[in-house]
Amino acid sequence: MSKLMEWAIQENELLQEKIYHTILDPGLNLYILPKKGYNKKYAIFSTRFGSIDNHFRVSGNGEEVISVPDGVAHFLEHKLFDNEEGNVFDQFAGYGGSANAFTSFTNTTYLFSCTDFFPENFELLLDFVQSPYFTEESVSKEQGIIQQEIRMYEDNPSWRVYFNLLSILYGNHPVRNDIAGSFESISKITKDILYKCYETFYHPLNMAIFVTGDVSPEQVGAQVASSLARRTFAPLEGIERIYPPEDGVVVQQKITQDLAVSQPLVNIGYKDLYNNLEGQELLKRELSMELLLEMIFGRSEPLYNNLYEEGLIDEKFSAGYVAECTYGYTLMGGETRDPEKLHARILEGIEAVRKNGLDEATFQRHRRKTQGEFLRSFNSLEFIANNYLAYRFRNSDFFDVYRMLGEMSLSDVEDLLHEHFKEERHAISIINPM
Amino acid sequence: MLQVEKKTIPGQIDVYVIPTNKFKTVLVTVMTRQLLSRELASKTALLPSVMERGSRDYPTYQDLMIRLEELYGSGFSSDVLKKGEKQVLSFSLEVINDLYAPGKDLLRQGISMLRSVINQPLLENGGFKQDYVVQEKEQLAKEIKGLINDKVNYALERCVQEMCNTEPFGVFKYGSIEELEKITPEDLYAYYEQLMAENPLDIYIVGEVEPDDAFKLVEDAFAGTNGVARRAMPPDQVQHIPDDVRYHDEKLPVNQGKLTLGYRTNTTYGDDDYVSLLFYNGVLGGFPHSKLFQNVREKASLAYYAFSRLEKHKGIQLIGSGIELQNYNRALEIIKEQVDQIKKGEINHEEMENTRRGLVNQFKVIADSPYSMLSLSMDELMGGRQEGVDYYIGKLESMRVDDVVAAANKVYLDTVYFLHAEEEVKA
Repeated sequence: MSKLMEWAIQENELLQEKIYHTILDPGLNLYILPKKGYNKKYAIFSTRFGSIDNHFRVSGNGEEVISVPDGVAHFLEHKLFDNEEGNVFDQFAGYGGSANAFTSFTNTTYLFSCTDFFPENFELLLDFVQSPYFTEESVSKEQGIIQQEIRMYEDNPSWRVYFNLLSILYGNHPVRNDIAGSFESISKITKDILYKCYETFYHPLNMAIFVTGDVSPEQVGAQVASSLARRTFAPLEGIERIYPPEDGVVVQQKITQDLAVSQPLVNIGYKDLYNNLEGQELLKRELSMELLLEMIFGRSEPLYNNLYEEGLIDEKFSAGYVAECTYGYTLMGGETRDPEKLHARILEGIEAVRKNGLDEATFQRHRRKTQGEFLRSFNSLEFIANNYLAYRFRNSDFFDVYRMLGEMSLSDVEDLLHEHFKEERHAISIINPM
Repeated sequence: MLQVEKKTIPGQIDVYVIPTNKFKTVLVTVMTRQLLSRELASKTALLPSVMERGSRDYPTYQDLMIRLEELYGSGFSSDVLKKGEKQVLSFSLEVINDLYAPGKDLLRQGISMLRSVINQPLLENGGFKQDYVVQEKEQLAKEIKGLINDKVNYALERCVQEMCNTEPFGVFKYGSIEELEKITPEDLYAYYEQLMAENPLDIYIVGEVEPDDAFKLVEDAFAGTNGVARRAMPPDQVQHIPDDVRYHDEKLPVNQGKLTLGYRTNTTYGDDDYVSLLFYNGVLGGFPHSKLFQNVREKASLAYYAFSRLEKHKGIQLIGSGIELQNYNRALEIIKEQVDQIKKGEINHEEMENTRRGLVNQFKVIADSPYSMLSLSMDELMGGRQEGVDYYIGKLESMRVDDVVAAANKVYLDTVYFLHAEEEVKA
């Protein structure tokens, strides 16, 4: 009846995990990680369509550049939960499944978890993500709900301080805009715009599925294949995402906002400079940057402990690096009584490390810690699945993190120390109490 | 389904071991409890943060962090929870299962570090180290003042404070600035000694371990712990039928109004009809298929979120929703109507079955996470029962509409709290 499916099996001895991979007609990537003994089954269906994809061109469609209002990817995520039979949440609930979705800058992911009725729940996921149903009426109803979601975030100081920073770190790249858009931008969204985006970005070639739990790869594979076979897809030659060029300088170095908070909140960022990095190269940059930040700001380092003892930071202070194909940045911060002083102390701290250099023992210690934390994170099915696809969309392999960390040397980190922290690429965002 | 082995070791410490080979880590949690009170809450909350700053063997936070890095990035954290009218202090350590780091003996070394933090604090002049106490008091004061930063949570907490203003449950889990300021390093140490000797001390281990080996590890590490007659914790005051509904408005510069309703459930975790109450909460607002989400959000488009949740031990249910100011009356009316419907038995077959499946699902996945197993065990311990997952699933499977209605009719609205930016709410 159906042709035999071909599986590539990726086995990771250290993690003692096996991933089954196959590509199903017309080009959907399916990954399955069987987890014996788990009651929970978790599946995600993800498209490489996020808030930054607001200008694009579809190959074979002439030179026409399509521009869509900010917040479309997120709006579309909300709307897919309505189908002709009603609300998808209810249909999952009938099988004890718990469904949800999230939209990031780069992807939209639909998910469910369940213990029983896996095939029924999975069928619902396959079905609702592939059955757009938008009417003018339902679009306008959703505007009210999303407006309240935007309002909720307006009152969230951690969210505001972060998006304010991105808006001055980047002058042109759409990562500077809120994922949900604005009251104004979402009022321009129509059902036609939603259909246009859907047809482009929800093509199987631009999507992937990850399933984990106590499941059989053969059965899951057959179910996806049969779901795809029941539909027809127009050929998709390729999507060209258009991002305006971004230079190495920030828009402005400081942005402030007043909110009803108890003490100021600070985010400090350094914009990285590269054009379209992906695969192993991007993964290596991400891991090297993470190690470098650990070596400067980690809890076992003097800088963190001095700032804490002076009462300039609390235990929620963090520093991390974000690595996407078209942008990357370092982000650090938290609550503080004195934003200017903290800012100055952080810059001095970075400068001191640049002057004094990094040492091998510290590097080894942080590397071992990072490897251990990676292993610990494998208790969570959700964490594995979400990360695995996010890394796949950047053409890199999440399972490779441990090995790659092991192969890194101090000099990888040292190179970035001297290249990354440039004055003109750095900005600060502050939320002050009213 | 889940096998829990228990042993009481010298020092009157109860040790619970849950052996499972599903995880890449072993989780060890040491927990103690205190009665919630205005006088003691800040002192209790301050303790773990001071203890975590340094011990005799690891005198600085930096020393502790370096040790954790040497133990392959083991996780270490302390927490202050409010469960009913008790504060729960916990210290957790998560190490990599020896299978993935052979020959490293991480569990034994990790427990020894944990013991050092809990049993051998860093002292000077008969008290905790002065600098640490001063700094941690400042940090805790910021936490107390920082409640306001998360408006969703702030609105829930404020409703509880107003609702229980004459009961221990109205005390914030970190206490108050006023009580915090009075604490000295000497008092705090005396209090620590008393708490460690007189209050319940429980240790949980979840992961791939032989129970006897695990008992031996903690028994060796915690040998010499004081503790002879640890006192039992009295149950919470749960029964409460309010005379009138109280209304509270609070003005803050917010973009979205936050509406919170506080109910008395008159049912607690230890009661036979607790699962009926849990079911009631599920039908009302625990899921996207529930009445609140369907009616406040999906039908009326008034909110992005609308949920209900239980405080299991105190017998309180909170409903929360973020709305525009002008929709206050409409939202309140819709919410009350959903509660009334259930009380009258207006629950359709689909709502019943969806809630049943959703809740069964939640209990089944407990076995998939060490933290969920720990959390269930703690709730059972505090609720004074030892049932295990299968008991709850059995109860859920046989739940009838009548049971849910019976639980619903023990629930009374006590307080309506509204956080908004205007001077007056138009009635």
